[in-house]
Amino acid sequence: MQTQTSWKWKIEAHTRWFQWNLREVWQYKDLLRRLVRRDLIASYQQTVLGPLWIFVQPVLTTIVYWLIFSKIARIPTDGIPPALFYLPGIIIWNYFSDCLNGTMYTFLHNSATFSKVYFPRLIVPLSIITSHAVRMSVQMVLFIGVYAFYLFVAGNVRPSFYILLLPFLILLTAGFSLGAGLIISVITAKYRDLDYALQFVLRLFMFATPVVYPTSIVPLKYRFVFWLNPLTPVIETFRMAFFSSGVVHFGYLFISLLSVAALLVTGVTLFKKRELNVMDII
Amino acid sequence: MTEVMIKVEKIYKYYRLGKLGSGRMREDFSNWWTRTMRKGREEQTVSRDAGRFCALRDISFEVVRGEVLGIIGHNGAGKSTLLKIISRITAPSSGCIMGNGSVASLLEVGTGFHGELTGRENIFLNGHILGMKKREIAARFDEIVDFSGVEEFIDTPVKRYSSGMYTRLAFAVAAHMEPEILIVDEVLAVGDAEFQRKCIGKMREVASNKGKTILFVSHNMQALQNLCHRVITLEKGEIADMGDPEAVIGAYLKGAKKSNMVAREYETPESGPGNDAIRIKKVALVPEYLPGQQVIDIRTPFTIRFEFWHQDPVPGSLVVSVYLFNMAGECIFDVCSEGLEGVHGLIEGDCRIPGNFLNDGAYYFSMSFVKNANKRLFYFEACLSFDVEDYRRNISWYGKWMGYVRPAFPVNLFPKKI
Repeated sequence: MQTQTSWKWKIEAHTRWFQWNLREVWQYKDLLRRLVRRDLIASYQQTVLGPLWIFVQPVLTTIVYWLIFSKIARIPTDGIPPALFYLPGIIIWNYFSDCLNGTMYTFLHNSATFSKVYFPRLIVPLSIITSHAVRMSVQMVLFIGVYAFYLFVAGNVRPSFYILLLPFLILLTAGFSLGAGLIISVITAKYRDLDYALQFVLRLFMFATPVVYPTSIVPLKYRFVFWLNPLTPVIETFRMAFFSSGVVHFGYLFISLLSVAALLVTGVTLFKKRELNVMDII
Repeated sequence: MTEVMIKVEKIYKYYRLGKLGSGRMREDFSNWWTRTMRKGREEQTVSRDAGRFCALRDISFEVVRGEVLGIIGHNGAGKSTLLKIISRITAPSSGCIMGNGSVASLLEVGTGFHGELTGRENIFLNGHILGMKKREIAARFDEIVDFSGVEEFIDTPVKRYSSGMYTRLAFAVAAHMEPEILIVDEVLAVGDAEFQRKCIGKMREVASNKGKTILFVSHNMQALQNLCHRVITLEKGEIADMGDPEAVIGAYLKGAKKSNMVAREYETPESGPGNDAIRIKKVALVPEYLPGQQVIDIRTPFTIRFEFWHQDPVPGSLVVSVYLFNMAGECIFDVCSEGLEGVHGLIEGDCRIPGNFLNDGAYYFSMSFVKNANKRLFYFEACLSFDVEDYRRNISWYGKWMGYVRPAFPVNLFPKKI
């Protein structure tokens, strides 16, 4: 037997830290596309409304929030029509929580596939945030429609240049949910307790995010902590972009970017390091 | 031909047993706490070893390009674990594997199939999961559909498929992969005879024409012997034997025989199984080997010989029955002696089973001793166990032969002149 020094691949007992192998993920982009397609097709099979469900949820949520938080609780909306005020928060929040709820079960829900065939596991969480991004884009269209009504017919809102930041805001949200989801997926694979705790925490976290109220009503002494939530600057900037009301804090937006980046690096690293070992304990 | 495609080096695989890794944070935390507090004490090493199960121990081998390597072993010998490690589904505990070429593993057919999607969508989805590129699948799409034989239903959700159609479609996708290294677990053990024939045929084609490197785990000795260039026997997680298929498989089968109970003999009536009425002295299975044969295969006639003491004082006729069961516990046959009147003391008997009668498989005998057709004196459960090996000549079909028995009844053909 001749000795060979160049091997195309190598499997070792322990994956090294920071061995992300993103090139391999790229090679599987066909699978990513197909999984997104599967998610979108399969979720609306045998439903009467089909993809219309994408609209139903934000519309109903907006109506409920309007009734409860605006009409009954009388929480101010910074002078913006309530229907318009709630939508950005709802869309961003839903995108975040759908992604997190999908990615955090990467191992638990796919163990049957993962125990039979190899492909870069990162494809699965990526496909989840992508298919939710498709749904979110459709909801954005709904928002633009409502917005256009208020802009041209009612004429009580005006846009600002911050609209150009919108793609960045969405990427921040995606990165935040992916990073957090990857970390949680590795931990929940072993400790199911986290699952219960998280559902609870997630519900509370929504109220720590300015979904149903403007940041202006937060007392000054808590404002710093409040703005550390990566979603706070995202939603506030979103509102500022379309309504020219509220504030844009580039400082907080930058902190948000940094924390999301840190979360993503931690998430991907942990995920890549543990993706094989997790299969023995699931 | 000497290009090494896979090099497996000193693979160990441990699994944690029992309470460790139970999945509850509190328990893991208290385990960790205990370990930390007792640092340096001997308990640590004890619990470390006691809590682990070694599934693979020091496995090293190489596979060269174009080689078909078979892996055999009893259940739990570590075959599947080894394939999973090479397929990158789970990581080894230590050691490493290096490879040269694309790998596709077929540990199951239809992985990732989604019931709500159509056959067409699933072909692409499954193909991508198995690592195929979009254009590869598109190029072979018609071939895949053709091979599966489900053209009419290709745009129907697969949840409406029969299980046969589902498996055929799944296998069709797998069969059209073009990896350099193919890893196949016993997927061939499922499916109907037609499906198995296709599988083996495809593997044979891939191995001989295309120079693929194949790792193949199976219990089908005949298929292994015909397809493989080399065979490895795994035993309790270690490589017990490696080399020429015929020699390795022969040795493995002989080893397997040792665990069978083919003879028992008891010197004194007190030591034998039985009761006051019946005491067994001896039971044995005596095969009539053909020249050169070492194991019982489907051609081998054999005889059960038995001796027992009959001490039942009740007068009447004694009937001895012999039952043959397969390992699923299904009775293959039940034969009995004629009634023997008024004889006591040591009695000898035999029962000859002709060759070309039983199908291959694992079997056991039980015996019963009945007085006057109504009183069972003694039932000797599973007194002998044995395996019947497969034997085929001039037959290019390697699937499991159907039926409980496999008699050599001739099937004749008479071409008619017009």
